[in-house]
Amino acid sequence: MSALTGPDVLSAAERSAVEALVFPLADDEFVIAERYTEWQVRAPTLESDLALANVAQDEFGHARLWYDVVADLGYDEPELLFEREPDEFYHASLCALPFDAGDWADAVVRSYLYDTAEALRLGSLAGSAYAPIANRIERITTEEEYHREHATTWIERLCVDAEGRQTVQNAVDRLYPYALALFEPGTPEQTDAIESLNLRTESLPSLREQWIETTSTFFESIDVSVPVVEPLPEDPGRHDSHVEAWLSLYEEFTRTYRELDRAHTPTITSEHNDG
Amino acid sequence: MELHECKTRAGPREFGPHDDLPREYREAATRMIQFHANSEIMGAYLERPFIRQSPSLDRKLAFSAKVQDEIGHGQLLYRAAESLGIKTREEMLDELANGEGKFLNCFHYPMTEWWETPMIAFFVDGAAMRRQATIKRTSWEPYAHAMDKICFEEGFHIKHGEHIMRELATGSRREQQLLQDAFEEWWPRILQFFGPTDDESTHHDFAAEVGLKTMSNDELRQAFLNAYLPKATEYGLEIPDEPRIREEDGRYVVEEDDLNWEEFWAVANNEYAGSHEQIGSRARAHDAVAWVRGTIAGESA
Amino acid sequence: MIWEVFRQDEPGGYHTHCGNVHAPDQELALLFAEIQHARRKPTNSLWVVPQEEIASQTDEDDRFGGTTDKTYRWVSAYNVDVEFAQEIEDSDREQRSAAGDSA
Repeated sequence: MSALTGPDVLSAAERSAVEALVFPLADDEFVIAERYTEWQVRAPTLESDLALANVAQDEFGHARLWYDVVADLGYDEPELLFEREPDEFYHASLCALPFDAGDWADAVVRSYLYDTAEALRLGSLAGSAYAPIANRIERITTEEEYHREHATTWIERLCVDAEGRQTVQNAVDRLYPYALALFEPGTPEQTDAIESLNLRTESLPSLREQWIETTSTFFESIDVSVPVVEPLPEDPGRHDSHVEAWLSLYEEFTRTYRELDRAHTPTITSEHNDG
Repeated sequence: MELHECKTRAGPREFGPHDDLPREYREAATRMIQFHANSEIMGAYLERPFIRQSPSLDRKLAFSAKVQDEIGHGQLLYRAAESLGIKTREEMLDELANGEGKFLNCFHYPMTEWWETPMIAFFVDGAAMRRQATIKRTSWEPYAHAMDKICFEEGFHIKHGEHIMRELATGSRREQQLLQDAFEEWWPRILQFFGPTDDESTHHDFAAEVGLKTMSNDELRQAFLNAYLPKATEYGLEIPDEPRIREEDGRYVVEEDDLNWEEFWAVANNEYAGSHEQIGSRARAHDAVAWVRGTIAGESA
Repeated sequence: MIWEVFRQDEPGGYHTHCGNVHAPDQELALLFAEIQHARRKPTNSLWVVPQEEIASQTDEDDRFGGTTDKTYRWVSAYNVDVEFAQEIEDSDREQRSAAGDSA
């Protein structure tokens, strides 16, 4: 089914199309995972703490699966994460927005918006012409299903009283515009290449329409209104400007690496360590 | 059950929720398990920043999984404590946030740098695991059951800590020096982990009599040093001259007068500067999401 | 009404599921379970739980432990030795054995 079996068969143009597609996927997962970990030791109950920590680890794991796709094109982990300049990350700002202390509604609404988009995006990659992309979809999708169920269940619980519903409404109002920016394409050339090579089998505008339909239906069913968004935020991320809070997150996650003047990143498994 | 019967019957996993136990037993067991549970939570506070500050994706995942396990261990332990019928989990978590809850000395100190992490993740967790292994034979069955699961999970924590320590110990000269500096700063606190041996706090004798504790502080520290002091040496760490440690007939004898017990007791009573810092972050986090607990409690009521 | 029955072999052990009984109420469920599930096996304690109160999830529906690489959670991923401390060796052995059981 996948015509492009692996890195060895790619032309230079195909490689750059794969990179243009995969970097945003990987960066989204990585950055939203970083934000989720902020809830570790701070979630409403011990049980919910464990659950969200697991979501964070899943998203880091997905980030790694996507980074591995580009690693096979000749990048190493320092280049992919620790030595990349902050403005060369391509995540959507939804993933990088900071949480206000205690705003659990933000955490679960963000997860719902993100994971609904993720499900659609994964669906559009299941038939990717590039085999290393297509063969990752099932593993990731299975974990994303838990995330979506977890998020919708929490949102419904919070909406049992007026005060809780208002926190959900506030989160939707603030996050929805940023979530729409998840579907912002790269340059027209990149989009053309990605679509003509069939790396992704549906267009981003089409995914966005489905996402609006799904999320609107859900929020209407629980009496939460969806804001009219026009235009998108000024700092949507991807190829445009990132939110300011991204810089401090970046500083923190690269801090040890820089302070120790590292040039490599330790792995834990035996085979790597023997090297 | 009368107290004397409780002491006579005391043995591994002897008592459970269906036993009519004397209040002294329930209170002593609650105190011990609550302390343990609090320590899991506060240890997780110390390590959480290093999820983000890990210098690789693998390390990051391991730290996240470890902090997650610690919260999970807190969950198991608070349930084991709750089943004694003295305090609810909510009361114990409120006590932790308002500064009444007690927890391990090492978790009162700030940990700000990556090269400090093996001090907790290897030495302190190693000491904790050594103690936990003995609690598998405690007399409160739910506590022993919690310990089965905790010991099962905890092995990777120590290896993860050792892995980081080995990397620093075999890294650049600067990394080796930073590791040594961290070791010198933390070593006295690690030695105080098991408390003073001559004191054998008032709680201990009773806890031993009713089978809650199965080894004394001194025996535990001995067992810890036997395994972990050679490890420190193996990784090229120099044991500080003070506190003095002598080897006597295959035993390590720690000169306890060389340790700062005034600070230890300030820490034990949550009166150390670092205590306020750590408890303050716990209190802020606990209060910030009180509204969520209120919402879901309202729904189930 | 169906009651699920959990039996503990000996003091200190875990209650594990061993079957179920039909009974109209809790008292009779215990009486029936004692005979049906505890008369031939050494038993220290029994629990009965209304079947309808049990919620369940299967590995098929929701893959427990996830579907992506999580080796960092396991002792065996770290190539440092475990032999210096019995309790770590024990954890290592228990984890390897649990992994073997689920494989």
